[in-house]
Parts: sequence; C-alpha cells; structure tokens
Amino acid sequence: MRRIAGIVLAFLLIGGVVAAVVAGRETEGKGTATKTVRGVIGSEKAEFFADPEVVKALAAEGYTVKTETSGSWAMEGLDLKGYDFAFPSSKAPADELAGKYDVRQPLPRPFYSPLVVVTHKGAAEVLQQNGLASLDQSRGVLDMAAYLKAAEGDRTWQDLKGAEKYGELSGLLYIASTDPTTSNSGALYLAAASNVANKGRVVASEKELTDTAPLMHDLISVQGAQQTSSDAAFRDFVSGVGNPLVLVYESQVASLLAQGQSVDDLVVLYPDTTVHSDHTVVPVTDEGRALGELLGTDPELRKLAARHGFRPQGAATEFTTATAQHTTYLMQKLTVRQAPVPTSEVLHEMARRARGQ
Amino acid sequence: MRVRTTVSVALATVAALLSTACTTEGKQSPGEATKYIPGTLRVLASSELSDMGEVLAKVEKDTGIKVRPTYMGTLDAVDLLAKGKAKDTYDALWLSSNDYLRLNPDAAKQVVSETSVMSSPVAIGVKPETVRELGWKAEDVTWSDIDAAVEDGKLTYGMTDPSRSNSGFSTLISVTSALSGAESALTDEDVRKATPRLKEFFKGQQLTSGSSGWLAEAYDRRGNVDALLNYESVLMSRADLTVIRPRDGVVTADYPLSSLASTSKDVRDDVRRLTDALRTPSIQQTITNTTLRRPVVASVAPARGMDTSRRRELPFPGTRSVADGLLDAYDNELRRPSRTVYVLDTSGSMEGDRLERLKTALTDLTSDFRDREEVTLMPFGSEVKSVRTHVVRPEDPKAGLDGIRADTRELSASGDTAIYTSLEKAYEHLGAADRDTFTSIVLMTDGENTTGASPSEFDDFYRGLPAAHQRIPVFPILFGDSDRNELEHIADLTGGRLFDAQQGSLDGAFEEIRGYQ
Repeated sequence: MRRIAGIVLAFLLIGGVVAAVVAGRETEGKGTATKTVRGVIGSEKAEFFADPEVVKALAAEGYTVKTETSGSWAMEGLDLKGYDFAFPSSKAPADELAGKYDVRQPLPRPFYSPLVVVTHKGAAEVLQQNGLASLDQSRGVLDMAAYLKAAEGDRTWQDLKGAEKYGELSGLLYIASTDPTTSNSGALYLAAASNVANKGRVVASEKELTDTAPLMHDLISVQGAQQTSSDAAFRDFVSGVGNPLVLVYESQVASLLAQGQSVDDLVVLYPDTTVHSDHTVVPVTDEGRALGELLGTDPELRKLAARHGFRPQGAATEFTTATAQHTTYLMQKLTVRQAPVPTSEVLHEMARRARGQ
Repeated sequence: MRVRTTVSVALATVAALLSTACTTEGKQSPGEATKYIPGTLRVLASSELSDMGEVLAKVEKDTGIKVRPTYMGTLDAVDLLAKGKAKDTYDALWLSSNDYLRLNPDAAKQVVSETSVMSSPVAIGVKPETVRELGWKAEDVTWSDIDAAVEDGKLTYGMTDPSRSNSGFSTLISVTSALSGAESALTDEDVRKATPRLKEFFKGQQLTSGSSGWLAEAYDRRGNVDALLNYESVLMSRADLTVIRPRDGVVTADYPLSSLASTSKDVRDDVRRLTDALRTPSIQQTITNTTLRRPVVASVAPARGMDTSRRRELPFPGTRSVADGLLDAYDNELRRPSRTVYVLDTSGSMEGDRLERLKTALTDLTSDFRDREEVTLMPFGSEVKSVRTHVVRPEDPKAGLDGIRADTRELSASGDTAIYTSLEKAYEHLGAADRDTFTSIVLMTDGENTTGASPSEFDDFYRGLPAAHQRIPVFPILFGDSDRNELEHIADLTGGRLFDAQQGSLDGAFEEIRGYQ
C-alpha cells in the first residue's frame, strides 16, 4: 500500500517560498526579530500563505513562514527533518504523520472545508426533477444514495426527464473527481461514497472493502483519465470545459465568490453525506505547534482564512461574515451529514482498487 | 500491437529573442539584499504553442521570465519524457494536454505539478457553402451528422496524424467516443465495436499531416476538400470556415504548464511565477484575443465570436491499452493506407558512410510501416536502377517488411545523380492507378542533379500531369551535399515539404515524414 504514496511522494515537492521570502524581507526591513518557521503544505493552501495580508498578519505575530507544497498523501513518505510542521488537507495523513514523528495529540486543526459538487442550473434542475437533488436558489443538496443507485444502474443523462433540453447533458451520469490515488479530494470522494454504500458506516474491514470495491471502481473507471489536482478540475469547470458535475472543495468556490468572481448559472450541491477536508497541522517542533494554534485562534488569521473560503474551527462568525453576500450559493450552516474518513491504509487500498491498479 | 517509434530528432528550437526587461516584483519592499535575476526557462512545448509569441513577450515584460520553447508533437514529447531524456535539457513542460502523459507512469512521474492555462476544444471547420448544401445549423450538428455526410460522399476532410499530433489524437478519440455510442470512458470493447463505422468515416479523410501548419497549406492547395478537423483555435484563426463544435461532445486541450521533478526549487519557482503571470486577467485577455483559445479565469470573457454554449466533455481513455489500441487500429485498419515511392540516391558519392547510414535508417524505418501499406524502393544513379514494390499484408506483415529489408541490404553506390529523371519515373509508376491511398514520394539525395532531365524539364513534366497526379507531393530530404534551393523548389512545386537531415539525422527525417504519409 505504501507503494502508491511512494510513487507520488518523491515528485511532489514544489518550491513555494515566494510569500515567505516576501515576509522575510518586510520584517527584516523593519528590523523586527521574527521566527522563521518552515512547513510542507497541501497545494490548496498555497494561495492563502502567499496572500500579502496573511504574510503581514503572521509577521505581526513574529512569524516568517516558508512553505513548500506537496500532495497530502505524499507527505507520509517525506523526511520532515528541517521542517517545523506539515499541513496536509486531511486528518488521515496527518494522524499517520503524527504517529511517525511521535507528535502529541490533539493536532491543531485550524480550518476545514466540505466537499461539494459544482454544476450549472440546467443540470441541477434535471437532477431535482428526477429526485436526485433538492434545490434552493443556487445551492442544493445531492441525494448520495440516489446518486449511487443511478451509478450502479449505469443511468445516463438521456434516461433523466428534462435532460433533452440541454445538448451537453448526455452520456453516463457521474461526478468527475480527481485521481484518488494521488489527490486528496478524489480519495475523500471515495470516503463519502463508500460510507453511503456501507449503510452509513465507515469502511474498515477487508470484507467491507471488498463489498464496496465494485461500485467504487465504477465511480472512477467511467471517468477515464482524471485530473491530478482539484485546482485543475475546478479551472476546467470555470472555463466552461468538462463535465456537468465536478467534485471540488467548498473553499475553492467560496474563494472565487469572495474575489467577486462568478461562474454564470453556477449551482453548488452539498452531498447529503459529505466529507470534510480537515486541514490539520502536524507540528514537528514547538514553533510549528505554536503556529498551528495561532492559525486557529488569531482573529485576523481566522478572518483571512475565511476569505480564502476555509471554515475556521469553532465559532462560525468569520465564515458567515466572509460569505454573507453569497448565501444563495453557500450553505453557511452545514446541515448535511459528515462521514468519518477511513484510515489512511484503508483509503489507499480503496483508491488503488477503484483505479484498477 | 506494433511498437510505436518516435521522432528522435531535436526539432527547431525557437528562442524568444526579446530584450531582457528587469522588473521588480510589486510585492517586494525596497532595500533587500538579493535582487531577482530574470530566469530563462527552456520549455518543451506542443507545436501549436508557436502562436504564443505576443503573450510570452508580454509575460516577459511583466515578470522578466523568458521562455525558450522547443516545439514537438505531444506524443513524441511524452515518449521523450518517459525515456528520461528531458532531464537537464528542459525546465518545464507545456503540452496541449497531459491526458496521454498520465497514462504513461514513466512520463507521469517526471511531472511535479501542472496548471492549466487556457483551453480549446476539438472542432470541425467546414466551408460555408458545404454547410449550406448539407442544410446544417452549426449549433445542432452532431458527430453522427458528420459521419452521415461523409458516408453519403458529401463531406471530405483533412486531419493531422493522431500518432504525431495531439489535435489528431483528440479528434480520433472524439470521433470514436461519439460513433461507438460509448456513454463513458472508452474501453477496448468500444473501439472494437466502432471499427466498421470508423472505417467508413475515415474514407472521407483526404489529407493527413504531421503538423497543423502543413495541413492548412495542403488544404488550401488542394482546394476541393470540404473541411478540417482540428482545435477550435486553429480553425477560427482562418476566417474562411464555419467552426462547429459537435453537439454530442468534444475533447478539450487545456494546455497545462507543468514543472519537472528533475529541476531545482529555483526553477520550479520561476515556473510557478510564469504560471501565475499567465493566469492574470490581463494576460488571459491577450491569450484569448490573440490565439482564440478560451480563458480559464472566470472574470475574462472568451474572444469575440466564440460560442459559449456548453458541450459535453468526452472522457479521455483511462488506460494506455485503450489509447494505444486506438492508435494501432487507426494506423493498421481505419485510415487509408499509404502508398509511397522512396526515390533514393545511390550515386557514387553515397559510397561508404552515407550509404551505410541510408541502409540503417531504412531498416529502422521498417518497424514503423503499417498494415496495408505499399512501399516502392526506387534507387537511382545515372538512371533508376530498380523498382521494387512491397505490400505490408495484414495476414503476413513480416513477409513485406523482410522484402524491404532484403532490398535495402542490396543497395550499392555507383553512377551520377539523375534526380529529375528519377522523379519523373516515380510519378509514372504511381500514375498507373489512382487508388484509395495517401500517395506520396520521398526523395533522398546527397548531391545536385548532374545528369538526365533538367529542373525546368521536370517543371514542365509536372505541369503536364493530370490533376489527380499533381496532388502527389514530393517530400525531399536535405542530406550530404544536396542543394537546399533545388529541393525546396521541388517541395513547393509539388505541395510537399522539405525535411532537413543535414541539421538532424536521416533516421529522424524519414521518421518525421511518416506523419505526412
């Protein structure tokens, strides 16, 4: 099982020190003594750490943060020597890292973001008409059990009432995700789907893995070649390319909306069983832990995280404020069920079988 | 399945010769110790990206990052990467799509991160009068409609070779997905089922090419082909075609700029800065306005005249066996077979090393010949020495290939150089029958014409040929001491293209010509 991670891990290190360098320059310019903290982060947080306001807020607390990005699943194979923290986008790889480096629990989890499905109005209405989703303006709830049943029965868009009005709605009905063997969002999609298929229980045993494997394989194999990052999948959607239903993080949508941009007739569907991407800090040093705590407690940093679409842990004030203009798209208070994620080992194996490896 | 071989020649490296504008980053505060030194990124890029000059000049002005592209067909670039040959030679990769790359684990592991920069779907550009005759409404046309028009003999088209060019490969996948009735990613079974229908469809293909550029030239020269299959951006850049994105789905190129595992952190940082710059709204606007590709940033609208109605994205095959199986089927079953005369200079000056190189190159080439292909070897000196024709028969391909190899071994150098008389013989040989093939002549010579017909006599001969025979192009190869002007004239006259084995290798030239046969 390690093998999958092994393939990706060595190649995923991306230089990402621009923000940090800028921070260093600014603070050094002022002559303030700052602590330089180094971390490996998931790529979806690169924009957050590169944001000049985030850099400023961190500097105000005495931190210069240098980051490199890596796939969350690749981090478990990295040598964290010389780093102060790792910051994967999911709890499972974080726990594994914590075990490996004897990091004391609980781990700081400053913010999270649920998985959502982005689509356009036409497709969303067809889903509603056929009992697969319920809509409230530009957001809705996707009935996962009904969706999985449709996937199991090889239902096509042409089988659905009302789809004939839209030329682009043809072919098998499926949600496009990233490659679950390399990308966190694709893996979390399987976590949510397998939970529903396993009657609301987290898949843990070999039997449960085997029983859910055929459906998981269907969900992935019909997609053909998959994107390797949720950023790419979302870009395709934004440029009007691609599938009618695309799995992304809510933070990607919220961040786009917060920038005052929109996609025409965008609809955000919350799966009624979803999985949260828990951005979890794995501190390897005391400075790393202090930074992790700071990200979750500093009002300014919480506010900035919310502006990047993340939901800070605890009180929902920041996220509610940041998204106040966009409640027709976003569910401020999450009323959908959050499924627990299988262990890292089970999830790797599930992904591997789903891709037919 | 026969193994696909690759173009090993280093293709033209085009350096963006632009002044180095050293700009300071907006974010930087004054007085720091280290100043940003503008980097130059060596980028292995898909051939279509040669239209990005204006965009890259603007990026350089904004960021100081200079891009030095080396253009190559997407599939060839993937092969190069898989063999580990991009290491130390390239700093980044910029293909029309990474879909094929992802099917090849050895190539995929060379890529660290990728960011899509713009997009363009496969489309069909049809002459407006043909659209009228067919009674088509552009927004309603499906692949089935296109197929029906082809089968009725009402539509002919040109497309690039799927083994060389990503536009051809994407077209092949679009057509196969649509005509097989596959509702999701193609499987081997879908390809098999669609074969009879695809065979009919590819009877309509009148032009093939190793590159989009030559395809357009050949299309103009021919004049009687109704349509071109290519990326929307390529088709829209010619104002004379009605561009149709079939309603039942397309494959889209999303041009991911990718950083490579073999590079240092500094290089990857530059790649990221380049990516960021390319995705700023102002650059995205320049991209869509100058290249007619679609922006990937929500705040930027596509260039004027671009239809924004949605299309289903046909999934790209998820396994290499399906993708390679499809290419294999296209080469050996679906497309028109090729029919080629190799006019080979074996005059006295070829004696020794040159003749050996020719023999090696030809022998290597035999692994690349396709089923049903007809190959004629016509070695010449003072006159044509022999005419030997071999057919690669699907039931026994080895027999034909062995025949070519045996004849190759027997080549010997002697005599003067009768280029034009030999070319005339080649036309006479091919003129005997106008069969359903892609017919062409390859001319390899290491010197100037010294005997037989003169250039002007050949011009007269060519102009006196029936129109159908005039469509046969000559692809001359510049080798040894051959005269560029002389060979260029032959290529221009016959609608062929010159290949350079003085800069590159003879193997490489033969191999590259495969895309045009």
